[in-house]
Amino acid sequence: MNRMKSFYIQSRISIVAIVLLVAFLNSCKTEKLAPAQEQTKDISGNWRVIKATRNGSDLISIVDFSQFRLNFKDGKYSLVNKVPFLVGGDGAYTLDDPKYPFQISFTAGSNKPVSTAFNFPIVNGVRQLTITFSPGCANNSYVYVFQKTN
Amino acid sequence: MKLYLRIKGKRIWHLCALVILGIILACCGEVITGVDQPFTATVGSVVPITVHVSIPTAGGGGPDYFIFGFLVPKGWKAAENTTITYTSPTLGNGSMVLIPNTTLAKNGGGLNWPDDMKKTFHIGGNLIDDMEWVAYQTDKAFTHNGSTITGDLNIKIKVGADNNNTLVKLDYVITDSGNGFTSDGNGTYYSEKVAPSCLQLTGGTGDLVDFCNPQLTTINPPKSLDNDYITLTFDGNVTKTTLPSSDVTYICATAYTSDGQTISICEQTDKTKMVQIPSGSNKYQITFWPKAFFGLSDTQTIIKMDYFITDKTGNVKVGYGNTSSPFEYTFKCS
Repeated sequence: MNRMKSFYIQSRISIVAIVLLVAFLNSCKTEKLAPAQEQTKDISGNWRVIKATRNGSDLISIVDFSQFRLNFKDGKYSLVNKVPFLVGGDGAYTLDDPKYPFQISFTAGSNKPVSTAFNFPIVNGVRQLTITFSPGCANNSYVYVFQKTN
Repeated sequence: MKLYLRIKGKRIWHLCALVILGIILACCGEVITGVDQPFTATVGSVVPITVHVSIPTAGGGGPDYFIFGFLVPKGWKAAENTTITYTSPTLGNGSMVLIPNTTLAKNGGGLNWPDDMKKTFHIGGNLIDDMEWVAYQTDKAFTHNGSTITGDLNIKIKVGADNNNTLVKLDYVITDSGNGFTSDGNGTYYSEKVAPSCLQLTGGTGDLVDFCNPQLTTINPPKSLDNDYITLTFDGNVTKTTLPSSDVTYICATAYTSDGQTISICEQTDKTKMVQIPSGSNKYQITFWPKAFFGLSDTQTIIKMDYFITDKTGNVKVGYGNTSSPFEYTFKCS
């Protein structure tokens, strides 16, 4: 009787051990994580200047930027009511990387492309476009921060 | 048993005070004891300057490098046109080496040495912010062992690389790499010596750049092209002019283009209006984009501009040095 009972207990322990072993082995199963796809940055639209500095000093309070617009559409850009900018005329633009752009390149007409540092942060839930450039002397650095007009 | 110590006589007290003062002064900090600098030179010549220094050291510190910086016009490109050696009976002889811009200044709040010098000492006694601090350190370090290190820095600088006749007040600072530009209870660890008067460069073919004397008008940035925004400021406090006191003045300007054209904008409208900033300061300012202001075509560029400051009728005109000749400005980058 005792032997039967002991055999019964042993088989119960074995079953539990097997279940635990299977659970243990299953727990080590690697999960395949699908990496989140970074979206292609779309800068198309109509942009206006909301901040501007020259050599670190504010310009927006002493110069009227209200009429200036920078338009991006289908690989082309246009300037409306011009101010000193990286390029003087309308043309085509490209980003160095469509998903992680750090440089923007403007090609005005048949001129050589001009590249500059480019930032595309979201500030207070709104996309901004920051472009740093020197339209005149190389020592004079300008930063324009753009926001979409609507 | 109590011991009373009485010191009689003024002299003994004075002596004690002097000894204490001497200990405090000797405790810390580098001192520029003198600068030998010429006050006239020819553009393009090599100017010798000697800076005499004394470095009292407290025991048990270092080794640190001795740091030297001087303030010069950016157009001189001093980093390329200067050699500095040092002679010292205690430290020996050697040369000063340019500190890379990637080296951060001790206690400089994350700034490199030239930027820390600019933040601490600004542009010395000069008025136009087109100057730079150039920073050097000794080629060998010294220990703080309680002795006083004396020495001379022998600077040889080719002045006026931009070919401009110049009036400028040079400025010199020293410290060491273990302290930077700081002071504490033990003393001050740096020293500054502004040249007592202006160095005048002559013989150049460029414009006169006067960093020393207040100007009736200034243009910011000092070096710019017609595709920059330029800010023109008229300071009515420099001298009494014929302009009547008013909230506004106007600019009457002529541009000379690369294709030989002359374009004048001489009207009293919002386009040419100079606004008094701040109100009541007698300083008037206008910021404009020369290309648009003079209505240039895409192919034209402006070489130079001359201008007057006028009242609202346009009849009263003030020119260079409060004369009837116009102010002149050349568009260039160096």
